[in-house]
Amino acid sequence: MSESSVRPQAQPQSPPVVVARGLVKTYETGANQVHALAGVDVEFHRGAFTAIMGPSGSGKSTLMHCLAGLDTATSGTVHLGRTPITGLRDRELTLLRRDRIGFIFQSFNLLPMLTAEQNILLPSQIARRKVDRERYEHIVDVVGLRDRLDHLPSKLSGGQQQRVAVARALLNAPEVVYADEPTGNLDSRSGAEVLRFLRDSAHDLNQTIVMVTHDPVAASYADRVVFLRDGSLVDEVTEPTAELVSARLLKLEEA
Amino acid sequence: MLRTTLAGLRLHTSRYVTTALAILLGVMFVSGTMVFADTLESDYESSVMGSATSVDAIAVPQEPEVDPEAGPQPPPVLGEEDLNRVQDLPEVAEADGRVEGQAVLLDSDGRAYGMTPPAAMSLGEVSRFSASEGSLPSGGDELALSTSTARETGFEAGDTVTVLDPDREEREFTVSGLVEFGIDPAYSFGGAMVMDRDTAEEMTGATGYVEIDAIAAEGHTAQETTDAVSAALAGSADVQTGEEFGLDMAEGSGADTQMLRTALLLFAFIAMFVAGIVIYNTFAIIIAQRQREMALLRCVGAKRGQVFGSVLAESSIVGLLSSVLGVLAGVGIGMLGARYGNGLVGGTGGPAELVITPTAVISGLAVGTVVTVLSALVPALRATRVSPLAALRTSATSGALDKRTGWLRTAVGVAAFTVSALIIALVLSGEPSTAGPVIVTGAALIAFLGVVVLGPLLVRGIVHLAGLVLRRVGVASKLAVDNSTRNPRRAATAMIALTVGATLITGYSVISSSLETTMNNMLEEQFPVDYQISSQFAMAEPTGGEQDEDSAGESDDGMPQAETVPEEVRSALSSSPSVAQVMSQRTEYVDDENTHLMVNSYLGADLATDMGTDLVSGDLEDMGPGRVTLSKGYADGHTAGDTYTLPTEDGDRELEVAAVTEDTGQLYGVILDPQDFGQLFPERTEDDMLFVRGTSDADPSELRTAVNDAVEEHPTVQVASMAETKNQFSEMLDIAFYTIAAMLALAILIAVFGISNTMALSVLERTRESALLRALGLSRAQLRRMLGVEAVLLCLIGALIGITLGVVFGWAAGASAMPNMILAVPLAQVGVFVAVAVVAGLLASIMPARRAARTSITGALAGE
Repeated sequence: MSESSVRPQAQPQSPPVVVARGLVKTYETGANQVHALAGVDVEFHRGAFTAIMGPSGSGKSTLMHCLAGLDTATSGTVHLGRTPITGLRDRELTLLRRDRIGFIFQSFNLLPMLTAEQNILLPSQIARRKVDRERYEHIVDVVGLRDRLDHLPSKLSGGQQQRVAVARALLNAPEVVYADEPTGNLDSRSGAEVLRFLRDSAHDLNQTIVMVTHDPVAASYADRVVFLRDGSLVDEVTEPTAELVSARLLKLEEA
Repeated sequence: MLRTTLAGLRLHTSRYVTTALAILLGVMFVSGTMVFADTLESDYESSVMGSATSVDAIAVPQEPEVDPEAGPQPPPVLGEEDLNRVQDLPEVAEADGRVEGQAVLLDSDGRAYGMTPPAAMSLGEVSRFSASEGSLPSGGDELALSTSTARETGFEAGDTVTVLDPDREEREFTVSGLVEFGIDPAYSFGGAMVMDRDTAEEMTGATGYVEIDAIAAEGHTAQETTDAVSAALAGSADVQTGEEFGLDMAEGSGADTQMLRTALLLFAFIAMFVAGIVIYNTFAIIIAQRQREMALLRCVGAKRGQVFGSVLAESSIVGLLSSVLGVLAGVGIGMLGARYGNGLVGGTGGPAELVITPTAVISGLAVGTVVTVLSALVPALRATRVSPLAALRTSATSGALDKRTGWLRTAVGVAAFTVSALIIALVLSGEPSTAGPVIVTGAALIAFLGVVVLGPLLVRGIVHLAGLVLRRVGVASKLAVDNSTRNPRRAATAMIALTVGATLITGYSVISSSLETTMNNMLEEQFPVDYQISSQFAMAEPTGGEQDEDSAGESDDGMPQAETVPEEVRSALSSSPSVAQVMSQRTEYVDDENTHLMVNSYLGADLATDMGTDLVSGDLEDMGPGRVTLSKGYADGHTAGDTYTLPTEDGDRELEVAAVTEDTGQLYGVILDPQDFGQLFPERTEDDMLFVRGTSDADPSELRTAVNDAVEEHPTVQVASMAETKNQFSEMLDIAFYTIAAMLALAILIAVFGISNTMALSVLERTRESALLRALGLSRAQLRRMLGVEAVLLCLIGALIGITLGVVFGWAAGASAMPNMILAVPLAQVGVFVAVAVVAGLLASIMPARRAARTSITGALAGE
């Protein structure tokens, strides 16, 4: 797989793409402080599909937002490749997101006034980047949207909408794709479709993917699952199955 | 339910800020106008009343029955015996009469002041007028000027001024003081001088009293005195108490204030109309966004009526509160206006006492509240249609995009345009008339209705066209283009608010500039002269009757006769090297059975080339001895080639009609060849008017000097420079334009608030979208630019539709009233309008864009 020309010199000899060290995020809610993240150390490797799991309020979304530069951590560092992203200003973070990160959200992933094709191409247009036509055609075929390209999102099913979002996130071969509950709003069949597609792209396209989910079945598609509770990383499973993840999660909730 | 409404209002206060501002501005205009006009009116009243109530009874000569057979009569006067009778009454302590005529006053350049000579009068011992500065004249070498005349001529107390006596001999006076004549137009426009009795009679030739003022004897009321005076002068005078007289005067002069009030209220109405559109759009959007809230209310058991009532209650609270603020602001504006603006409309100039009538306050409150509630009516009805189920849907607002435009909508819109076009065609095919612009305005309203109905379609179409270019500019512009059409109805309503102002201002500027071009063209191409020289008109015969035989010269059968331009002026001009041509006009009147016929002749002119005018028939080339040219009104059905019979003292005279001209042209009446004219009126040797044309290479200043030299010795001869006339005309049009533009500015400002509000509410609705875009790497600047382009696009569409309507209907209105109007589109002004629209759009987007850019991405992504 050829790397996108604008991607900064990623070092092939440094396997972790994203590294977080001592990540703390504190919210002030009136008198008391809430530790959403209480010192998280984690790394994500190239071509790996990782799921972040945890009960509600465990800090999974906050962790993803901090890793992606959507939110700023109170302390600690996050590196994307060799770039320390903690401490970057909004302008630099914007460019970082634009050029090096892909996003898939739970809902409201697409702009309602743009067609599927326009939505897929939107990040490239924002960046005024030349689209790799070959990769585009390949991705469109893989997600099976060929005959839906000129539809507005309101004319697409939930699964189709998420597939458009996935195609958009993958098109520019970003260093990392963050997916926040990508199947949260989908029925199980559409969900499985999207997850299979994510897993395949991680393997076939050597794409790094980090997914936040609370669904053990979704997590089972990943290569590795990390568990979060009360803002701390507490457990980790590689080659997960849905049963295994459920059991661990249950144990976590009970503890 | 009311508690829910109030809680909702508190929660969403920010959404109503711009709406409240729109209402506030409109109401401010309404109450401000009322306070300003009321204050002006009371100021006038007190000044008029003040001078009239200083005496108890005022007697003016009764107007005689008008006898059309006898022609104009000299104005009646009261005699010495009338005054004696009044003075002898036991009810009267003191009384005296006012003598009034006219005399020529020379200004500091030694030229006669005014189009007509100003009034010259003596006030007598008892008068409602008194010196406001200095003193009344105490001898034959002093006079007092009216304050308005002093202001216009620049003379002050202590200056020496020159007045011409009836024999045109100069006589010098010292200005002893100034007299405030108030707003009586006869004196404030015509000018007035006060002299002592003997001097006034000597200088004007007037005798008799035009007014007798009396003061009541002790123990008698003003009414008793007035009744007694009235009895004493029975049949020859109208007598009123000072107060009644003052009230009558005030009523007459109040008409000006009334007109000003009506004009201002018209603009206030436009502003309120625009505010109404803005309020409607705000409520419509807010209701759409609160669909889930409404549905939840219905779920927990609120009836449709209660939801409706809740929205209306909300609107009345917003309306009332904003109106209260608007009235307060209006009082402030009215106060400023009354303090600084009353000089503009001929007020006394002093600081007026502020008058705040209950009407001003109540009408402001009522207009603001009623407009708000009415504008919220349709959105409120829509709110009742929300089904309780809507509460359960996840995505309440983003919904499917409304991309449909009903066939009915299209049909109605096209029909409106067609009807409007037909009306215009009909009006323009007929004769120009004063009713034309009114009908055109009606057609414009119908077309406006078409724009309202077709608005969404127009917005989509124009955005689509603009998108062809904008999409290439960058992703921000591309997104802006897509955003502007996602809710065409909303966008259309927002831009229509701006269209109103843009149409009116463009329409007016097209009329104004076409008028100017047409007039200039008429002056330059049809009648190219540089100077027009005439004599000062004596509007009325000197009062008094007996003495005027020797002063008025060759006046025949009582017609007021303009004085002629002395022969020396003509010969001096003709011999000047800078002058190419001197044409002169001589006018006489011939009695027909029932009318005076105006007979004109032009000396030194070739009618066909020098007096080009629009012809109904014939050819001016054919003019010559024995021929006649008639203006249409005089032609009586005659056309070129017919024989026209002119009744003269020596019997009828038959002439062949050479041409018939339009009534509106330079050639008017019965035009004879100079040779025929000379035979008919052998005693006429001087000209009524001279037209001077300089040589093509003449230096304008040399020509000016030549003309000034020629009239040097004749101070009453008036010189009008065509260039100056043109300048004055353009200046007048410019002032009118700027005034109207300023008045419309408020309506435009309100519309911009509306666009800003629409943007702000849309931004609110698209919070998650903005967050998504930011997550995908759209920078804050790009987000701001996106909203900026969207707002500018909306403003430009509104302005362009307005400009188009304005040009079309401005042209139609002008052409329907003015024959041969030349359409002139003031491109520079239109360019300014477009620039204003762009700036307005940028301004409108500032607040919403800041808000959108500041929103935290994670916060917006996380929740509703």
